[in-house]
Amino acid sequence: MKAVVLAGGKGEGLLPLTKEQQKELISIAGKPVIRYVLDGLMDAGVTDFVIVTSDKGKDLDKEIGDLNAGYEVVYQKEAGIEGAIRTGVSRVSDNYYVLAFGDIVTSKQLYSSLISLFYTNGKPSISLTPVSEGLNTYGLVELREGKLKVVKSGSTLALAGAYVLPTEPVESFENYLSSLDSSYFVWSGSWVDIGFPEDLLAAVQNVLDERKGSFISDEANISTSAVIGKNVVVEEGATVEEYAVIKGPAYIGKGAYVGNFSLVRAYSSIERNAVIGAYSEISHTLVEPYAEIGSKSYLTYSVVGSKAKVGAGAITESTFTGKMIRGRSNKFGSIVPPAETVAHGTILKPFYSS
Amino acid sequence: MCGIIGIASNKKDKSLTDVLVSSLSRLEYRGYDSVGVASLDDEGIDVRKAKGKVVEVVKTKKINEMSGYIFLGHTRWATHGAPNDQNAHPHVDCSGRIAVVHNGTLNNYKELREELESLGHKFRSDTDTEVIPHLVEEFMKRDMESFEAFKAAVSSLRGSYAILMIMEGEKRIFFARLDNPLVIGLGEDKNFIASEYAPFLPLTNTVVTIQDGEIGFITPSSVYIEKDGKIVDVNERVHKLNFTLASASKGGYSHFMLKEIHDSPLAVKETLSTMMADDSVDKAVKVMSQANRIFVVAAGTSYHAGLIFGRELNMSGFTVIPMIASEYPSYRTRAGDVILALSQSGETLDVKMAIKEFKNEGSTIISITNVIESTISRESDVKLYMRAGPELGVAATKTFVSQVASLLLLKSKILGEKLDYLSHAHEVLEASLEGTEGQMKKWSSTLISAPSMYYLSKGVGLPMALEGALKIKEVAYVHAESYPAGESKHGPIALVSEGFPVVFLDPGIDELKVNIEEMKSRGARIFYVGTSKGISKDEVEVRLEKGLEPFALAPPIQLLAYYVSVGKGLDPDRPRNLAKTVTVE
Repeated sequence: MKAVVLAGGKGEGLLPLTKEQQKELISIAGKPVIRYVLDGLMDAGVTDFVIVTSDKGKDLDKEIGDLNAGYEVVYQKEAGIEGAIRTGVSRVSDNYYVLAFGDIVTSKQLYSSLISLFYTNGKPSISLTPVSEGLNTYGLVELREGKLKVVKSGSTLALAGAYVLPTEPVESFENYLSSLDSSYFVWSGSWVDIGFPEDLLAAVQNVLDERKGSFISDEANISTSAVIGKNVVVEEGATVEEYAVIKGPAYIGKGAYVGNFSLVRAYSSIERNAVIGAYSEISHTLVEPYAEIGSKSYLTYSVVGSKAKVGAGAITESTFTGKMIRGRSNKFGSIVPPAETVAHGTILKPFYSS
Repeated sequence: MCGIIGIASNKKDKSLTDVLVSSLSRLEYRGYDSVGVASLDDEGIDVRKAKGKVVEVVKTKKINEMSGYIFLGHTRWATHGAPNDQNAHPHVDCSGRIAVVHNGTLNNYKELREELESLGHKFRSDTDTEVIPHLVEEFMKRDMESFEAFKAAVSSLRGSYAILMIMEGEKRIFFARLDNPLVIGLGEDKNFIASEYAPFLPLTNTVVTIQDGEIGFITPSSVYIEKDGKIVDVNERVHKLNFTLASASKGGYSHFMLKEIHDSPLAVKETLSTMMADDSVDKAVKVMSQANRIFVVAAGTSYHAGLIFGRELNMSGFTVIPMIASEYPSYRTRAGDVILALSQSGETLDVKMAIKEFKNEGSTIISITNVIESTISRESDVKLYMRAGPELGVAATKTFVSQVASLLLLKSKILGEKLDYLSHAHEVLEASLEGTEGQMKKWSSTLISAPSMYYLSKGVGLPMALEGALKIKEVAYVHAESYPAGESKHGPIALVSEGFPVVFLDPGIDELKVNIEEMKSRGARIFYVGTSKGISKDEVEVRLEKGLEPFALAPPIQLLAYYVSVGKGLDPDRPRNLAKTVTVE
């Protein structure tokens, strides 16, 4: 079975992180977001992919080059989901195909469940999932005698971004789903649609929660006086210096560096080749590849874009803003744009405060 | 939902019966009451079937001794006709040369049966399925070739079906599907066809999907499918399964419990439409209307459904006494009393013992169960059935709302009320499911660490609160207590301290606000289900319709229990220490 994976959206809710790159390429616990989708689909028996992207997805090939499946990356010609689907289905010859949104971080089982439902029922198949925050940012559905209708409000069941559909172009995606004689199921496991900054932190949390136990690569350089707690992953080539403390759940990516006396804790994910200087504290924070955090910094509930340089002594303020769109914790610190330089000693204001 | 399996092999092989029996065993989880097998060899068709468990029927009918190159197997959950040997599948035509197994419901079987009987066909069962082999036989008489006759028969059917058919002299299994699952497995020297993969998955992981409305046949080495007269390219349909399919039987859901909660609207609709057409309902209504007192005998969830019924009639001047079945020795009935026994399985020992006792005292017994001809039904003077279909999760969900629906129907008939309002029951359920599930998942993240909690309500909400507390105890192991909200100050509020979770179910009763405030002022964390706004930061709105409040309140309490259970990493389908059917004292 072939899958069309959509990775061409504008990603406006995640600006400035998505100014230059697709949100599907944001790295979470060692994998770009789209990889969670592709791995889930491969587990469910999909062997061929058409990935529809935009100019901001030029690094896709580099990011998924080691994928153990056939794939082609195509650039979207027409606007919107419908345009992306049109581009995708033109490369599918079977009667049915899997349509997957590339910005979903969930358990692999969602995809197995979906495809198994289709194989058994032989009908278009739709996955749904319960949501509770920012309801107007999702495609919601009403259920009417086994039929499904996409609506704007009045429901807490959302389209979960994975479908088995007849191979045909669609005029209006939501109307199309409502018009199908389909089977649906409700996915009750962890699920995050990466649309807003807080979704990135929620995804880190879910991924780290699902990883049971610790993993420390033989190729990691861990000082004998470093302290590694429970539920910690340290990948090959990572360095954890003397007296640094990693308290799980936490992820230290390939080639990342954690300086002396630093504390990385509570659902923090330090992606590949990122650098945390000495005497810093990082919690509930996603540090993208090649970003550098200067010594004596304090970052909470924040996202640091790739290749950003945060000066020494930088501090994020994470306050109860009450304005978050999909806030699960009501706390959000800052977003440091990719490649941005933050001056030494800066107090970073909460992202949502403006 | 019955289970279906078909095997077409090149060789007449004794080991085929072992394959068939193990396939049937893998269908057992669905719930069933009888089992049947048909084999086909050069001698003809041999059908063996009986009421009972796979292992029993295999033994009594010597199924291991059957031989052939084509086999059909079926596990039945009775819908049309009692579970007995005669009604078990496969069903055959008059000559015994055609055998059929079927899953689904044929809406026009009565008309077809009458027509076929007028043509001289002799029926042996009460099932809707039996019209299929007779139809094919009739078309064959008219010089149709076998597949044409099968297609003509299928096109005469109205309803839903997954059908397998075998015929003497034909080394193939014919199939058709509409709104019922059917999937093909390709083996080395044999092919399979079944209602799901589970039966043949250990033998092959190569499957062919059949889409809705398609018809065709499998032989030991080939598959033919067509739709609307057009041939389907089967090669395009071949898939390799490389994942475990534990969820295959759950329609994509991770657990039966969640699937069954979402099946509730359909279960309620089926229950009401079937009961409205059942003469026994009027008989029961007549008996209860003239009763001196009505004792509702039930246990667990069924007792809560009984409380709803009791309250409605008590408010209209009837004397209804709901009792927990195991406490029956505390009650004494007399002539003129009626017993309404509620049991989903129809086998609950406490209820059985109670009705036996009350029967001896001269009371009339009416029962509502979900299992046709179950023990409690058999021992009743009037048998009523809900149509929720088999429920596989241990905790009652769709059967509870189906029970409530059937009781509201009885109540309205007894009181002479219009029944129109009941046609909205499934819609209220649907609206509540989609409107509350997200919130329940969110609430669950707080409640997974709660050692203890309260469920409070008043009026018609009270039985629902009791049910909410029971559900979360059953599947999530949270110590939960429920009592009428007005009782708080008479003792229980002493337990409430900062953060103590209290779920309020508001069926539209203003006085509840006072109780919410008294809990709030002690620091309780309020989880509010109702129509008011601004009560608490944890609140969810439901659509209340007069007389249908239980259908608005059932989904959130069931979903909350489910999500707390899953959030704790428990298996809500198989809670510890509990059995689906309680058959011990």
